[in-house]
Amino acid sequence: MLMWIQKYSRPLQIALTVIGVVLLVWLLAVLPRSVIQSSVRLATPFILGALAALLASRAGVLNLAIEGKMLLGAFLGVVVLYQPDLATGGAVINPLWGVLAATIAGGILGLVFAVLYLQIRINLVILALALNLMVAEGTVYFMRVRFGAFGTLAHPSITGLPTLNIPLIQDIPFIGTLLSGYNVIVYLSWLMVLLIWVVLYRTQFGRHIRAVGENKAAAESVGINVTRVQIFALTLSGMLAGMAGAFLSLGVLSQFLENMTAGRGWIALTVAIFAINRPLPAFLTALFFGLAEALALYMGRIPEVPIPPNLLQMFPQVATLGALILVALRVRGSETLKRRTFAREFGAELDKLKQMVAPSKQPTHPTGD
Amino acid sequence: MRRLQAAFENLSIPVFATLLGLTVSSFFILAANLNPLDAYSRLFCEGFGSTGCESFSDLFFVDIVNEETGATEWHFALFYGDKGHALAVVLEQATPLILTALAATVAFKAGMFSIGMDGQFALGATVAVFLGYWLPAQVYALFGVADPETASTALLWFMRLTMPTIAIAAAMLVGALYSLLAGVLKVRLNVNELISTIILNAIAVQFVTFLLNGPMRADFNNIARTERIDDTAWLVPFTRGFLADVNWFSGSRLGVGIVLALIAGVLVWYYLWRTTRGYEQRMTQGAQSFAQYGGIPTGRAILRAMFISGALSGLAGAIQILGVERRMVDGFVLSGTGFDGVLVAILARESVVALFFVAVLFSGLQLGAINLQFGNIPRQLGGLIIAFIILFTSMENLFREWLTKIRLRLGNLRTSPPLDPPTEDPAPTTGGD
Repeated sequence: MLMWIQKYSRPLQIALTVIGVVLLVWLLAVLPRSVIQSSVRLATPFILGALAALLASRAGVLNLAIEGKMLLGAFLGVVVLYQPDLATGGAVINPLWGVLAATIAGGILGLVFAVLYLQIRINLVILALALNLMVAEGTVYFMRVRFGAFGTLAHPSITGLPTLNIPLIQDIPFIGTLLSGYNVIVYLSWLMVLLIWVVLYRTQFGRHIRAVGENKAAAESVGINVTRVQIFALTLSGMLAGMAGAFLSLGVLSQFLENMTAGRGWIALTVAIFAINRPLPAFLTALFFGLAEALALYMGRIPEVPIPPNLLQMFPQVATLGALILVALRVRGSETLKRRTFAREFGAELDKLKQMVAPSKQPTHPTGD
Repeated sequence: MRRLQAAFENLSIPVFATLLGLTVSSFFILAANLNPLDAYSRLFCEGFGSTGCESFSDLFFVDIVNEETGATEWHFALFYGDKGHALAVVLEQATPLILTALAATVAFKAGMFSIGMDGQFALGATVAVFLGYWLPAQVYALFGVADPETASTALLWFMRLTMPTIAIAAAMLVGALYSLLAGVLKVRLNVNELISTIILNAIAVQFVTFLLNGPMRADFNNIARTERIDDTAWLVPFTRGFLADVNWFSGSRLGVGIVLALIAGVLVWYYLWRTTRGYEQRMTQGAQSFAQYGGIPTGRAILRAMFISGALSGLAGAIQILGVERRMVDGFVLSGTGFDGVLVAILARESVVALFFVAVLFSGLQLGAINLQFGNIPRQLGGLIIAFIILFTSMENLFREWLTKIRLRLGNLRTSPPLDPPTEDPAPTTGGD
């Protein structure tokens, strides 16, 4: 089975893409507009989170603290807007300031993460788990201690981001509902996809990031300050994650809930892995995950489908697991392909070399890794 | 002498990290406009103290006014068990934690950063609770016993021995197989085990919640719950069993579980440090390619480690159900015991012996934070303290550098004896045993 998949990885990939496109068109035609809109909306934290993850991964650091950065962003975005004296003449603050605060907070946490990891050399996984735990407990702690709120922080002064309709596009019959009618972070996330793409592939900084991620020692030898590049990348990554958090708290509910990210940071990490750390595929993958979540919500609402809600909520997770397996097969397939191409082009010379070196005794390479 | 110094250093760093963690966390208490020292004394008394514990010194000696004579007498706090001791409850809560921490340690020691203990714990618990009420009913039906009250003593004793054993074994097997899934994904496809186990946890939690709300739901109670396990499948706690008149245990459901956890600890230590297979998997953790070239089947070592790890988590779930809860209630799977076990294993720096103490400290901090009736401090304080302690413990390298600098400076001041030649004294093994 495995061998078969690896052998036919290219046609399989094309077939899967075709199936995916057909399925997508079918779903777009069948599903109500509200589901499509909500799936685009639900995809937003995945888009931003995946961008955060891939930026860090491209710089050679697996950013496992995205969950914590998101949660901190979600919390601080709401905290900045909180006005206890609203009744006595306090003014409602524009929620955009909340988004800004969340982004900065995520960036600061990203910077702290980078410094602790790169300068003090704490184990990456342990550091990430500790930070995630700290944010998860700390947000609930402060919510109770400073705001006297149990589990939910909501207040009339905390307003959500308004929905923006794009003037011309919203009048186009089908695409209008698809592209218009979201809040500002959704548009911002699309912009970020392009921006990150430009940064990664068209600027010097992006080339440095990719060089550091590919081979740290080689990058260092040509004079790139590896640590500085990584710190910058992690800070940017944190800012994106913070923005994703602001979407959760200000873009959907305009309140903060205890542990409201609920594993979205981890899913975002998987999205980035699935897209092999490229921005545009990450965008599409995130859209798929948004669709899966929206479908689960939609099917839970209609009584004709007798599926228990817990099984529906399992669906995105199972899809993620399947995605992980597919990615692994794909990565392996492309490695096999590379090896085969190499063997085809240089095989004869390699054999010659081998015979020259040791015709009698060949060290056998261990198989499997 | 140097060995002593190394031991001192190994011990002083975690202690220093703990104190630093407590210090930093005290800023959070200050943020609530409360006195950290008072809060901590309450926290530790609730977590580790005996009856009548009021301040830090009461953690060691308590003054108790004898009601008959009116005289004040003091007791060692650890052994003063009138009306029960907080440590008994802590040990009850530490039991599953010890097992999941052992599970995490075994996985870590094969180079697998698996945090799938939560999912395996949930599935193990589900299997245990199902067998706990379903299997005895089948046995009663088989022997034609209509009412368990009228069953013969021989049958009851037979069931008391076999039912928990079968339930525990099945739970361990299910946990092990679920854990093996992540292992296979890692070995065959090189899927990052951290991410795959997180997803597997989420799937298991959703699946168990579905079972609990669907097929396994017993009644129309507000909060979904299963039937209670049969008395024959119950691992009877000490307070109901042969230690019924020891006051120290009263108020806790501490039972056979802690004994099983101790046995598991000894077995895991023996496996890791005294068997060839344990050596193989430690080698895999240390240097995988090197181990591979040395002829060690690293893939098999990883799979074995994941299997054992899952079995231990499943055992933790089974013990929590059969010994403590006796039925599964909605929210049981969200307890986070598995993840806490990972944190304990990290804090113990993968040492099997240290893990027991860390697990007790961990449960004590959490219990103390939950029972803390002090101002408006929420129980999340416990988690915060733990997070900071983890952070500072993992800064070990930095602290070691500082220690070396201090020692060098001291060494320059006085004429110290020449250092031993480096060949004689191997580097002190940290976290070994």
